[in-house]
This record gives sequence, structure tokens and C-alpha cells, in this order.
Amino acid sequence: MPYFTLPDLGEGLQEAEVVEWLVKEGDTVKVDDLLLSVETAKAIVDIPAPRDGTVATLFVHNGDLIHTGEPLLAFEGEEGSGSQSVVGKLQSQEDTDNPDHFVVGAVGGTPAVQTTPAIRSLASHLGVKLEQLRGSGPGGTITIEDVQQQASLKQSHGDSTPLKGVARSMAKAMASAGQQVVPVSLFDQVSVSHWPADTDITLRLIRAIVAGCRVEPAVNAWFDGDRLSMRIVEKVDLGIAVDTPDGLFVPVLRDVANREPDDLRDGLNHLRKDVEQRKIPAKELQGATLSLSNFGTLGGRFATPVVVPPQVAIIGAGKRFTQPGIKDGELFEDVQLPISLTFDHRALNGGQAARFLAALLADLAD
Amino acid sequence: MFSSTPYALHRRLPALEGGHADWPRLIQAYQAMATIRCFDKKAVNLQRTGQLGTYASCLGAEAITVGAGLALQDSDYFVPYYRDHATQHLRGVPLYQILQYWGGDERGNAFPADTAAARDLPNCVPIASQLTQAAGIATKAKLRHEPAAVLATCGDGATSRGDFYESLNVAGVWQLPLVLMVNNNQWAISVPGQLQTASKTLAHKAEAAGIEGIRVDGNDLPAMLDVLDYALDKARHGKGATLVEAVSYRLSDHTTADDASRYRKASDLHAAWQREPVARLRQALVDAGHWDAEQEKDWQAHCQQEVDKAVKTYLDQPPQSPTDMFDYLYANLPVSLEKQRAALTESAGGHHA
Repeated sequence: MPYFTLPDLGEGLQEAEVVEWLVKEGDTVKVDDLLLSVETAKAIVDIPAPRDGTVATLFVHNGDLIHTGEPLLAFEGEEGSGSQSVVGKLQSQEDTDNPDHFVVGAVGGTPAVQTTPAIRSLASHLGVKLEQLRGSGPGGTITIEDVQQQASLKQSHGDSTPLKGVARSMAKAMASAGQQVVPVSLFDQVSVSHWPADTDITLRLIRAIVAGCRVEPAVNAWFDGDRLSMRIVEKVDLGIAVDTPDGLFVPVLRDVANREPDDLRDGLNHLRKDVEQRKIPAKELQGATLSLSNFGTLGGRFATPVVVPPQVAIIGAGKRFTQPGIKDGELFEDVQLPISLTFDHRALNGGQAARFLAALLADLAD
Repeated sequence: MFSSTPYALHRRLPALEGGHADWPRLIQAYQAMATIRCFDKKAVNLQRTGQLGTYASCLGAEAITVGAGLALQDSDYFVPYYRDHATQHLRGVPLYQILQYWGGDERGNAFPADTAAARDLPNCVPIASQLTQAAGIATKAKLRHEPAAVLATCGDGATSRGDFYESLNVAGVWQLPLVLMVNNNQWAISVPGQLQTASKTLAHKAEAAGIEGIRVDGNDLPAMLDVLDYALDKARHGKGATLVEAVSYRLSDHTTADDASRYRKASDLHAAWQREPVARLRQALVDAGHWDAEQEKDWQAHCQQEVDKAVKTYLDQPPQSPTDMFDYLYANLPVSLEKQRAALTESAGGHHA
């Protein structure tokens, strides 16, 4: 059925209250006949019919609040029989599957450069890129001093390079996470000398994370810091950090609690291959409920990895190392796996985190 | 002709005394006024149904905007504000392009090259800034000895702006071929005339600039033609600038984003409707035997057809290209904007183009 949705009646007014319907379901109307009156923050407005037709359904009633873009009514007939070919209306369109925009967590927009034409001209003359400057003037506007300082810096130390693509997305996502999250990290280590030589470490870590989630489900969750609400998620969709020459990717391995090891290994290999070939669709990088950074394959023991909202925790696995162990009074060469856990203290408390970590370590020691 | 009784309101209707009226021209004027009223109503409805952006109605200004369109010659220049739809149409802008402009489509400003509109400026939404530009065009016309007049329009609110006084001042001191017409419709959005100025009339403001000021009944089409014919002819012949105050009443809201019932009395509006320009001219034509009910019916049907056709053409246009915002702004794009244009082309990709 062709729908008629509430248009933007003022200049950017997002909602209106239905004052009175002048038609009812079953009525036949002609184009420009009055349908209803609504009240916005600015005005009471009469809305006419955009076309001839018979009113099939009214979706709102007198006194209801309605937002722009929500349906007011449906006409009888086929979809696409010409409700409105909207020309003057701006509709927000979500950026769909654009593989060049990897976004981890919530990222704000880039504010426009604010300065005067004269300063733009000076910057252009001196080869200074304004978008790389932080304005020191009122409201963050860029001043002549800002431009001159940057120009002399450029002369003595060379130009700086703006981040692009994945690196840029990461910088934004991490900055955003850093502003929101209240991070606390726990460190521990566990003996893994009993592991067979061909142990698939990543799969072993995944198994242990699932074991931790069984004991403390709240670690596998999404937290909304604006509304201070928490959603514990049943399915564990694990974000796995992958280092590439282009930068950091975190593809998501789905439902890791209910899949066989072989299946998981296949999935991992696929994700890794897609990432390396830069073919991974954006949706495969979204929706993680918990993350794992297995940085130990490269180096480093302990870390404080960054929790990316809305997730509430991230596990870091460091490089294994040997240390003297004692068993039955005998010294032996023990292999230790260092584990780090960072959690968002807004969403979890220390007890929950510690119980999760203990269960995870117990599984690794098993 | 008008300076003998300074600032007295010039009127012709309903008597059209003297009997030397140019009836074909008045009939043409009436037809244009009826057309634009029909268009205006449809434009508001398009906005109300999400098919047009914010729109400024010309309801109650029909005699002013049509009078201007008929008094201008092809060699003149027109510098509008934003309630001059009929003038633009009479200068050669098709109705669908007027809709395009108010629909946020830059292509609406690409006036047809073979019409007088091609020398005109597009709508000006900032208040009074167009008047300084008009003074500039008039200066150019004078320096080049063009036998042309420049007509610039504004509302009563614009007369409080510095741009208004600056333009008036140079028009006087440089003897510019400029006619500056104020549509005094009594309301600057919600600010009524008595809060706008302590000046006795807006036409009095000509005094300080040393130019002629004329007040005219803006609901009286023949009177509008008298005054504009006179003032434009004077300008074309190098006899100086004129400030015209056309007194009307804004029968609509300020724009579709306004609700005038919140700040003005229904009784005032009702009284203003008794003086509205379209019915007055029609009555004068009917009384003189130059218009009848049959012609009226046919013409109204014709107007509706023309407007429906314009709406269809407007709605059938393919979407505009995002780069139009650059391409319709400059004849030659500055280097810095060329970069922005290239960036936009790149980021728009196949997504929005």
C-alpha cells in the first residue's frame, strides 16, 4: 500500500502532535483535500492529501506524537503507485556496507574547519593543511598564530601525514572509547607446559573465554553509557584482533560457544584471509560482544587493551615464557601463558571480572 | 506626476478615472495574478506533503509582483527578494523552475538564456543584501550608458538594515538608474510596522538619500503600473533613482515554517482580505465590461492546468548532482573549491550520484 509519511513541516522540526483528523478510514480524497492538522513546535499546520485515493489505514490518532518520516496513513492500492516522488525532501540514508569504512564502536563526525578566508589563503600559501590544526581561537577557530606555528614546525621537522582508512577509523574509535570507558585491568598467568606441541592456541583461548562466560555471563554484554543500561548477550560473538600491513582489523567470529573446533578454525581462517585480501564486508566487523587480542604471537606479556563500547571487556593473551617451576619437589622448566583482562568498571565490578578470569584460567590449566 | 503630493498614497482602483486605461494590459495583469495565486496555493500544499522545501508565499502581493513583471522591459535588470514569483515568471522563468528553486534544486536558478530573466539575479533570502548588489548593477549600467533600469525589491523588514541605507545613499549621490521597491506588507515575520520604524512612512526614507519617494497602494494593480512605469522610465533616462513603498498586507504566513495566527489578530487578517488585489482588479474589469464569468471559469481551469503541468515537470526531474552546489555558484571555480568539488565527486561515487 502507498504510505504517506509526516514530512518536515518547518525547518528541521522532527516531530508533531496530531491535532485533528479531517478524514477517516474508507474516505475517498482528492489531491490537496485537507487530511489533518498537526502542531509542531512552531505552528499548527494543515496537511493536504498528496494524491487522489481512498484512505485505507490511519496510523496515528488525535493527540498522538509523530516524528518526521513515520507513516500518517496508507492509501488503498499497490505500492509504488505514486504516493510521493519526493524531490525536495532530504532523507537520511544509512551508510550501508561500505568496505572502506571500518568502524569499531561509536565514532563521531569530524567537525568542519573554522577560520576566515584570509587565514585559509595564508595557510594555502604556506602549504599548511588546516584540517591538521587544532584551532586556539574562540570556539576552536584557527588563528594566524596557529597557521604560522604549524608552518615553522613543518619547516624544521617536515610535514605530518594525515591518517587514512583503517588507521583513521581506529584512531577515532579508540579516542571515543578512551573518553567513555572506565577501564580496570587484571593480570595473571597460567602454566600451559602440559599443552601438546600442536595445540591451536587461539582455539584454546576461545574455549577458555566461553568457559569464563558460563561462570560470569555479564562479561559477554553490551553497555549503553548514555542510558546506563546493560544487555547481557546469550550468544558469544567474539571480535578477534588481526594485525595487517594496513592496520588493525577486528573481524567477528560468531557464536563461538556452540561450534566445533574444526568449524571455528575454518571460520578463523576465512576471516583472516578476507581481512588480508581487504575483502571483508563491513558487517563482519560489527556486533562483537567480547574481544580477544592474541598479541603474544608477536611479542609482549601483559597489556591493558582498550574496551570498545558497547562491549564491556577484552582479553589479551601475551607471549608464552619459561620460568622455573617446582613439581613434587623437583625443579622443571615451566611454560607460562600471560593473560590480561580489561573491563569497563561502569558495567562490571571487580568481583565479576575476577570470577571470569579465574574460570578462564582454570580452563586453560585443564 | 507623483511628487506634487509627496508621500500621499497613490490609488487608481476602483474608479480607473479618466477612461484612458490600457485594458489589454490590465487583462494580461489579471491573468498573471490569477495564475500566480493558483501556483502559490499549490506550492504551499507541496511543502505540506514533503515535496517542496520551505516556501515563501506571495499571497496578497500579486499586484506588486505582477506590476513589476509588466513594467520591466527586457533590457532592464530585476533583483528580487523572495516573494517575487510572478515577476520571475513574467520575465521568462518557467513555473517548474520556481518550484525547483524552493525544492532546493540549484537547477531552478539556471534561468532560460533566451529570456529577460537571464539578466536577472536569483532569489535572495538574506535580508537586504540584494540591494547593494542592485546598486552595483545600476552603477555598471550607468557607466556603460545602457538605457536600462534596475528594479530591486525587498520587504519592510529590510528597510531597517544597513544595506538598505547604503544602497539608497549611493543611488542618490551617484544618480543611479535604480528603482528600489519595498513591499510593505506590514509584517517582518512577526514584527509589525510600528515596531519596525519611527519614520512616518517607509517612502520618507528617500528624503535623506536625496531621491524621490513614492507611496502606492500595493493592492491596486493599475496604480502599481503607473508608479513603476514612471519610476523605471525615469531611471532609463538618467533622471535618478526612486524609492517605491508599495503598501499591501501579507495574507499568508511569513513562510511555510511560520504560523501567523500566533501573533496577529484574525480580525486584522479578515479586514485585509477585503482589500486583496486579485478580486479588486477582477471586479474593476468586470465592471468595465472587460471580463465575465465565462472567461473567469476558463482562465481558472487554464491556471490549474498550467500549475499541474509545472508540478509534474518538477517532480519528474532526475535528482540533481551533488556537485551542482559548486557548479551553480561560480562561473570559474576557485582552486580551493575545485579540490572540494573533486573530493565530493570521489566520495559521492556511485552512492548518491
